Amino acid sequence: MDFTRRKLLKTAGLASAALAAPHLWIPGEAWGAALKKGEPLKVGLLFSLTGALAVPEEDSTLVLQYAFDEINKAGGVGGVPVEPVIVDAKSDFNVYSEKTKELILREKVTAIFGCYTSASRKAILPTVMQRDHLLYYPTCYEGAECTQNTICTGPLANQHSKDLIPFMVQNFGKKVFFVGSNYVWPKESNKNAKIWLQQAGGELLGEEYIPLGSSEFGPVLNKIRDAKPNFIFSTVVGASDIAFHKQFKQEGFKVDSMPIASLTTGEIETRAMGAEFGAGHFLSAPYFQTLDNPTNQKFVEGFLKSKYGKNGTTHYNMEETYLSAYVFKAGFEKAAAAVGFENVTPRAIRDNSGGIRIEDNVSPEGLVWIDENNFNTWLKPKIGQCQADGTFKVVKAASEQVAPDPYSIYPDAGVCTKEGLKAPDGKVRKSVI
Amino acid sequence: MDFGSILNALILGISIASIWLIAALGLTIIYGAAGVINMAHGEFIMLGAYSSYMLQYYVGVPYLFCIPISFVIVALVGLVLERGLIQYLYKRPLDTLLATYGVSLVLMQGVRLIFGSDPKYLAVPEIFSSNLSLGFVSISTFRVIVFGITALLVLALWALFYKTRFGVQVRAVMQNKEMAASFGINSSRIYMLTFALGAGLAGVAGSLFGVLNIVLPTMGSSYVVQAFLMVVVGGGSLAGSVVASGVTGELQSVFAFFTNDTFARFVIFVLIVVFLRFRPQGLFAQAGARR
Amino acid sequence: MGNLYHNKTAQWVAYAAFFAALAAIPLNIDDDFLLNQLATYGVYGMLALSISLCWGFGGILNLGQGIAFGLGAYGMAMTMQMQTQTESNPIPPFMLNNSLDYLPLLWQPFQSTMLGLILAVAVPTLFCAIFGGIMFRARVSGPFFAIMTLAMLSAFYTIILDRQPYTGGVNGITPPSPFQFAGIEVDPYSPLAYWCVFFALLIAAVLAKLITQSWFGLVTQAIRDDAERVRFLGYSVAGYETMIYTVAGLIASVAGCLWVMLVQYVSPAQLDVGFSLSMVIWAAIGGRLSLIGSIVGAFVIQGAQSYLGDTFLSTWLLILGAFFIVIVRFLPNGLSSLLEAALGLLSTRKNGASPEQSNGTKPVPAE
Repeated sequence: MDFTRRKLLKTAGLASAALAAPHLWIPGEAWGAALKKGEPLKVGLLFSLTGALAVPEEDSTLVLQYAFDEINKAGGVGGVPVEPVIVDAKSDFNVYSEKTKELILREKVTAIFGCYTSASRKAILPTVMQRDHLLYYPTCYEGAECTQNTICTGPLANQHSKDLIPFMVQNFGKKVFFVGSNYVWPKESNKNAKIWLQQAGGELLGEEYIPLGSSEFGPVLNKIRDAKPNFIFSTVVGASDIAFHKQFKQEGFKVDSMPIASLTTGEIETRAMGAEFGAGHFLSAPYFQTLDNPTNQKFVEGFLKSKYGKNGTTHYNMEETYLSAYVFKAGFEKAAAAVGFENVTPRAIRDNSGGIRIEDNVSPEGLVWIDENNFNTWLKPKIGQCQADGTFKVVKAASEQVAPDPYSIYPDAGVCTKEGLKAPDGKVRKSVI
Repeated sequence: MDFGSILNALILGISIASIWLIAALGLTIIYGAAGVINMAHGEFIMLGAYSSYMLQYYVGVPYLFCIPISFVIVALVGLVLERGLIQYLYKRPLDTLLATYGVSLVLMQGVRLIFGSDPKYLAVPEIFSSNLSLGFVSISTFRVIVFGITALLVLALWALFYKTRFGVQVRAVMQNKEMAASFGINSSRIYMLTFALGAGLAGVAGSLFGVLNIVLPTMGSSYVVQAFLMVVVGGGSLAGSVVASGVTGELQSVFAFFTNDTFARFVIFVLIVVFLRFRPQGLFAQAGARR
Repeated sequence: MGNLYHNKTAQWVAYAAFFAALAAIPLNIDDDFLLNQLATYGVYGMLALSISLCWGFGGILNLGQGIAFGLGAYGMAMTMQMQTQTESNPIPPFMLNNSLDYLPLLWQPFQSTMLGLILAVAVPTLFCAIFGGIMFRARVSGPFFAIMTLAMLSAFYTIILDRQPYTGGVNGITPPSPFQFAGIEVDPYSPLAYWCVFFALLIAAVLAKLITQSWFGLVTQAIRDDAERVRFLGYSVAGYETMIYTVAGLIASVAGCLWVMLVQYVSPAQLDVGFSLSMVIWAAIGGRLSLIGSIVGAFVIQGAQSYLGDTFLSTWLLILGAFFIVIVRFLPNGLSSLLEAALGLLSTRKNGASPEQSNGTKPVPAE
């Protein structure tokens, strides 16, 4: 290193430039990855391959690799193959943030597919928004977010339980008890569920939240025993969910008289707890492995036979992730047609993604499309009942796609539009998280 | 809020206490006898669960037999660890804490490499998957079994420490190692055996928790802080841990009954800190020269 | 001439060289990502430094340094969040989702950036002073104190998770814009952010070094070696312990503020037990008796995780854990003790004999 006077002066100059300019970087320029025809298109896969979140997130990485293989075989995206850059977020929110920066600034990827939890999404969004980049968030979440840099292919809280609650009230009775993990998503989901419950004429007997990762359900089950509901609405996640179902049975609760209607207990969870603890309970999701249509059969068979299918099952989270790859393909091609291949930026992809339809010959869950305003997905939630072998039997499917609305329970906050959150006073605010 | 609900909460408190106690038993023995803060204790619990899983899944051993075999397997792991690492660190208590934390990282990651990070489950006989009810009192059979095993182990340990020659030796070493040595007690051997015993007890806890809960490489870490607090509050003696778990288990259940589970935990943590401010040596401090 | 390692002038030269090297990086490299990454490591370096000060020199093993770091980080995140709120829109969005239609009292001071920054540092420091004071006066020490810090850390973690309307729960707080101070926006990827961390680390390191060389530092080291004897000499052991613990907390809380400036995010994960333990690992591997060794330890371990972690995937933690065990077992004073031994060999060879002869009359503090 040489400490010449000139170099020091240069730095001082740079530093003062940084002080002078409030926004040092200029969008577009900051991204700095001019796309070249013929070179593969880099995308980042930001999931945890190790640690506590690895169980669902490893599946996400696998299914995306499968999807991009499939896309590349069929000619790629905009005529070039996609090259996934796989990183390991180690189930650590600090690492999520660091890896996002690495993908955007160093790898210069065109888009990031990543995260399974809201907490990790929130950890990386400042970086994504600041660099005007693009995140495909491929799973369910609570909404109440309006950014110009995300596209979500999972159900929002307002879509998720819309059919489930009336269905349960009709079939099992009016009285319900809410149990959830103690964080944002369950609480928001329960707020939505209360609206559906009121409309269906149901009655809420109690609402309990368990610390994340806790395995002691004794106190909650005692409260439920006292309240005697007709069914339980559960938003318990992860390892706790499995403990909940096991202790439910061990404490002598009967699935026939008081089933659990869950938003999370899918194929992986029932496999982990043993099907005897899962059988009879209900799940609302846009996708089940047993969906009976040719696209899904092809997807399940193709995936399980491929080198990525080692975990032996498909489930709703995987399918939503799979769809995000096709949403990216369609969005990129639309953007390329609009601004030219070389000029496609992550933001241009997002701006051109509104209204993209994934037809039922590609989408295993059937036709879905991206909302033109809030860039979440129109989809059909379905209700499945867990069978003795751990698979789900679809007992009810929505007749038509449900609109996503991130602010459905906060009308005062405004409406999420393409440009930002439009408050009732007419002001538009960008990047609301 | 009626009488039945409160009675149920109190009974559940006993069950929670027995779960905390059985998680803390092994730690109590190891800390009490050798002064070692074993941060890998949670991973010993996890190993116990995985041993039972292995026995059940690959060998087909019935669940009830998995428990004692898990004890033996984890005790052997503890023995190897004590001979290979801990015995060199007895004079540096803070370093044993750190070294055992390293061990916990290795064990957790090792298990993850072998078994994968997807959850496993332990199958139990159908009779355990039910509950006992008597009037308005109701509790699951398996919780009763956990309570029974915990009580049995506490009795056995008491007998071991106060009724056998080995117990006399352990207590002698605890009180004054040099003096004990001059009476011909091999303290190195005593430390080794108590460490293995403590590890084995964690193995038993693990094979029980695998049924209540889920078998995961990370399952142990949620028990370890709690278990420590039981030992510290109890002062490192068997009776202390029993009382500490009993009181905190009941408090947890009652607080959770009136507020919510998360807040109950917070209150317990704070109460423990306050308690130790006024009684840093714990409930039943041991006679001994150790600081 | 004794061991060069214990030579005060040589130590200061090492500090100057280390910081000159760090200062040279932004002058020669134009890589946003690397700058931001190194700045983050710098924050971790401050944490390792604070552990080294508290544990290596004060003999107080603190497994709950995440408390000071986390509270500082929350204070900073609240300040930055309030900077993005306007008069027409005074409440952070996450509160609306938690049905709060007014700004809670807890948040009101953070409307002022200055006051927010002061609180972000003062609250954790005060906490350390009070908690440390209570514990040390009850003569809680050694492993017991370590466990108590662990319990306190878990308590904070739990309560922040539970009080979702005020803290954002597990999602934490995500200020959407970079930190602004006196009209300047600190872009986390700019050299400016790097310099902020650089100078904070420099000041903290020099301050810590001066403390260890002072009279006060000598007493704390004496307490580390034998608290009873120092007590018999009439010193207020608890006072000294509280002081060093609080200074370490102060450094960690500043680190927390800088960290949020760099990542624009805070969540209870910053108060996770694992994170606090990894701070101890950095210091232990680098060498707890060497301030600069601990800083280097943080850089090396975090760098290795970033650059080798993806190659080794699942085996990474295995390697780290095994390495840590080996260090604790065979090199309790970390890698810097290797350097000490090497330099010691060199000096004895030069002088022929008399390794015990040192260059001063006063005992030189280990470093």
